[in-house]
Parts: sequence; C-alpha cells; structure tokens
Amino acid sequence: MVEHVAIRGRGIGKSFTVGKVSTRVIDELSVDVASGELTLLSGPSGCGKSTLLAILSGLERPDAGSVEALGEQVWSLDRKALQRFRLHHIGFVFQGFNLFPALNSVEQVELPLSYLGLGAEETRRRAWAALDEVGLAHRRHMRPAELSGGEKQRVAIARALAKRPQLLFADEPTSALDSVSGQTVIDILHRAARVHGTMVLCASHDPRLIAHADRVLRMEDGRVLADEHHPHPPMGAHTTS
Amino acid sequence: MVALARKTLVYEWRRYLPASLAVAFSGMLLLVQLALVFGIFDSAAVYINASRGQVWVGYPGTQSIDLGRSIPRDAQMRLLMNPQVAQVEPFQWVNGDWRGSRQLGSVSVFVSGIDPAPDGLVFARAIPPALRARLEEPGAIIVDRADLPKLGIQVGQSGILNGQRVYLVGTTSGLRALGGVNIVTSLATAEQLNVGGDPRPAYYVARLRDPARAAVVAAQLDPHDRQRRYAVWSASTLAARTIHYWLFETGAGLGVVFMSLVVFLVGTVITSQTLMGAVAGSISEYATLNALGASHGALSRVVMEQAGWVGVAGLLGGGVLSAMVLLLAHSQDVPVGITVAGVTACAVLVMGITLFSGMLAVRTLRNADPARLLR
Ligand SMILES: Nc1ncnc2c1ncn2[C@@H]1O[C@H](COP(=O)(O)OP(=O)(O)OP(=O)(O)O)[C@@H](O)[C@H]1O
Ligand SMILES: [Mg+2]
Repeated sequence: MVEHVAIRGRGIGKSFTVGKVSTRVIDELSVDVASGELTLLSGPSGCGKSTLLAILSGLERPDAGSVEALGEQVWSLDRKALQRFRLHHIGFVFQGFNLFPALNSVEQVELPLSYLGLGAEETRRRAWAALDEVGLAHRRHMRPAELSGGEKQRVAIARALAKRPQLLFADEPTSALDSVSGQTVIDILHRAARVHGTMVLCASHDPRLIAHADRVLRMEDGRVLADEHHPHPPMGAHTTS
Repeated sequence: MVALARKTLVYEWRRYLPASLAVAFSGMLLLVQLALVFGIFDSAAVYINASRGQVWVGYPGTQSIDLGRSIPRDAQMRLLMNPQVAQVEPFQWVNGDWRGSRQLGSVSVFVSGIDPAPDGLVFARAIPPALRARLEEPGAIIVDRADLPKLGIQVGQSGILNGQRVYLVGTTSGLRALGGVNIVTSLATAEQLNVGGDPRPAYYVARLRDPARAAVVAAQLDPHDRQRRYAVWSASTLAARTIHYWLFETGAGLGVVFMSLVVFLVGTVITSQTLMGAVAGSISEYATLNALGASHGALSRVVMEQAGWVGVAGLLGGGVLSAMVLLLAHSQDVPVGITVAGVTACAVLVMGITLFSGMLAVRTLRNADPARLLR
C-alpha cells in the first residue's frame, strides 16, 4: 500500500498558562498522518491528544512548529483562509454530538453543506447518501430527541462526511456510547478511510478501538512514545445499513 | 438552505417567548403612552378641533387656547371686510365656579359661550344642531357625559354656576377638558355668568369660502404691527401651538421621552438576555458549525434573523395588546389619540429594541470557539 501523507506536523510545541503556572502540553512533537488510514491517538487522560488534534486540524495555534495539510502551511493562513480551508477539506466528529435540537437528521447534514454553495439538489443528494452510509436512512426525518446516543453520533459523522473531506478528525467519538454503538461508529470511520481514501485521525483512550486502527500512536506527556502499524486490522463483523 | 433560525424559533418557542413578550409589552407601553399623551393634549385643543372655523382671532402671543384674553370687538368688522371670509362668530371664555350637590363642594369649570344658531361654528362637530338650539333657553348648559359625576347632576337638573342657577339640557361626548370641566352655554348666558369680567370675547372664529386657504388668509388678516391688539392664526396653527405648549411647557414631553427611554432599556435588557441565553444554550452547536467552516458572519446572521422574527412576533403581539387597551380606554371615554406617525415611531423603536438586542446576542457568539470542543 502506497502511503500518501495528508498531514505533516513538525516540531510542534504548545503550553498552556493558567495563573502563573505554565504547563507544556505538546513537546517538540513531529508526526505524519496518512490518507486512507484510520490512525488512532491513544494515551492516558491529559496527555495532550485533544490538543494535538486541535493543532493539526487548524483550530488551535501551536506555540512552535508547523503543520502542513494537503500541501498547505496551515498556520501561515489568515483567519479567513483557514476557515475556507476547513470548510473545503476538514470534517469533525466530537464527543458531544452537538446537533441542533430543532433540525431533523437530513437538515443537520445539509446545514454545513449549505455553506459550500452547492445547489439544493446536490445538497439533498449528498445528505441522503451520507445518512445512507452511516445506516440511518430510516431515521432521516427524526430530530435528535428521537434518536439514541449511537444514532446521534452517526448523524454527526454523516454531517462530517457529507462534505467529502480529505481530512476527518474525531475526538473521543465513542466515549459516550455503549460498546455496540461504539463498534458501529468505529466501523463507519474505518470504512470512510478505506472507501473514500480519507485521512481519519481519531483521539481516544478507549482500548477497544486499538484493535480496529490501521495505526496507533501512543502518546504520553505530550510526546509520541510508540508508533504501531497493524497491517490488516479486522473490519468489524457488525456492519451497518 | 436550511432555515436554522426559523426552525429553532418554532421548535424552542418557549425559550424565545420571554423576548417576544418583552417586545410586545414594550411596544404596547410605548404606543399606549403616546396615545394617552396625544389624547390628553388633543383635549387641550378640543375647542379648535371640535369647531368648524378655519381662522381664529385671539390675544397676541396666546400660547394655548385656555390662556386667551379679551380682544377688541372691531376685529369682527375687520374680518368681515375680507372677501374670503364667509362667517364670523365670537367665542366667549369665562372661568367659572360650579356648585352642584353639597357633598361635592365647588369645581372649577371653563364656560364656553357660543352662538346657538344651527349654523354656528364653535363646537359644531361636538354638538348636533338640535341640542345646540336648546342653548337658546336662558341658563341652559351642555357638558360632556363623562363629566357628569364631577358636577353631580343629571340632564334636567340644575346647579349653581358663578352664583347663578343653570340647567343641564343635554350631554355630548368629545368635550372633555384638561384640568377642569367644559361647560357650553349660549353667548347670552355666558355674558350673564361673566360677573365683573371683561365682557368682550376672547376669540373670534371665522369660516372661509375656501377652507384650503386658511394659512394664506390668516396671514392676510393678521395686523402684523407691534402694537396689534389681536392676532390671527389658522385653526391648525393654534391647535398645534396649544398641543406644543402642553407637551413642552408642562414637562409632559420630557416625561414621554424619559418613559420611552426606560421602556427601551427594560425591553432591551429582557430581550437581549433571552437571546443571549438562547445563543449560549446552543454554543457548542454553533462552534461545531464554525469548525466545519461556517463563518462567524454566517452564524451572526442566524442570530440576527432570530432577533428579527422575535421582533415581528412581538410587534404583532404588541399591536393586539395595544388595540385591546386603547379600545378599553376609548369605551371608558379616556381620550386617546393615535396617529400614523406615532404608530410608526413605536414600531421603529420596537424593532430597534430587537435589533439592538440581537447585536448584543451576536457578541455571545464570540464564545463559539471550536477549539473548546476538543478537550
Ligand atoms: N485551554 C486550556 N487551558 C489550559 N489548560 C489546558 C487547555 N486545554 C488543555 N489544557 C491542559 O492540557 C492538558 C492536555 O489536555 P488534552 O485535552 O489535550 O488531554 P487529552 O489527552 O485529550 O485528555 P483526555 O483523554 O482526558 O481527553 C491537560 O492537562 C489540560 O488540563
Ligand atoms: Mg481529550
């Protein structure tokens, strides 16, 4: 398998200052993340997984180092350009599902698409396809209040996938879910990487996910301690749709 | 385009209800206040507005119709010499002291002496000809029906006015005075009641052949010199002077402005707090949209659209509330005056409240920082 590097992080450093105490959260970290793979960031709580994700995805500016994503120097872009870059290339899945209570599943997925300036027809087609992909075609017209936690997270994933991003970031996508729903979610993410060639970078301390990742980066105290490749991780027998 | 603003408003209407109610009540308070002030001050000009003449002659510098002083009788001749003038009529003004029943004590009243002829000009709009004719009887008076309790008599009964017995021959409406009771009599009866006062009338009222030329003819008729003993105004000028006097010289206008500011402030505080609460409640959803590439400008538009709809709902609610209150006031003979300009001003102020609140709520969006979603 030819590796396409989607993101290249070099010499990344980040400290947070609370009061007079400054804590080094990411320490001289360099990492490459490839397209078409599900890469898992694992490690104990507070080791800096979410912070690294935020820096690589253009949400949090690092104190030092650089991030090259799809050939762009992310942290050289101005605020507007960075926003456009995120709009066109990046999808996010968060631990909280962050769905609008008033919208049904199709509308949740259509909403970010509307900022891409696609036609109504194309927007709808993509939203339906994305919901199909996460196995929620039959939940299209339900609002978050009528969905289970796992279904909500799948809507959130559909919302991120409908943009057809080259880069997908997921932070603890399964930690609010039971094991079956968590399994479903990780399968969907895995399939997105395989089928669409998306770079999927997932931060989690859930050990159940390790077996399903193509690659596991073990972090501790702001550093990558181990970089393990799993040549052929099993796709979950539990398929969706 | 997903109608996020509207869908959220409909789905979470309970959350936005306080804002709409605040807007509605603000609008209602503003409009009712304005209507009451205009209504009350309209009654200061009731002598002019209820009469048919287009030109008024009175003492120079008179600021409000109730402040009139006697003017020379030759003014009438001067008026009649102008070919534009079709009819001239004196209007006598006598301050009076009313004694009805013993329990009520004395009441200060304004006696208007008018020509009881069927084609008389003064109060022609308030007193129908048949009732007007009954003023021919010596000692006959007419009052607004809302003033009956103050005077303590009924139609057909009598009371003592300036020490003389007078009879109530009928009532009408739209004659309420500011700060007293209007009593209408014939010129002859007014002369009888004017014990020791200047017998000359306070005003002359003229009807023109061409009503549209009131301003021009009034300017022609005014003597214009410094020592003039009377001045001539068009009816609308004198009415405006009177309302202006009450609005500004009495401090009532300042009261209106102050009250409007208070209403604006309270309305804005409640509305903005509600909208800010709604934004804060969805802050992680907004942050997610921002992470996915929606600009802060796009999110601001959602909040402003919500503010706009809250304002529209509030305007409708305020309109209904105002209509109910004003109808109630009207049915109770409380003078209310509504003008298109007044309603427009209130609507603009109310939309101002919501848009200003919306802008305050947009500031809350600054907390929509997607980096905070990654922890
Ligand atoms: N905005 C911030 N201000 C101050 N400290 C912060 C901030 N964000 C993160 N930190 C600190 O940085 C460290 C790493 O946080 P981070 O969220 O990256 O950990 P994590 O590996 O994702 O942990 P978890 O598995 O619990 O989510 C923590 O000690 C946290 O307290
Ligand atoms: Mg974390």
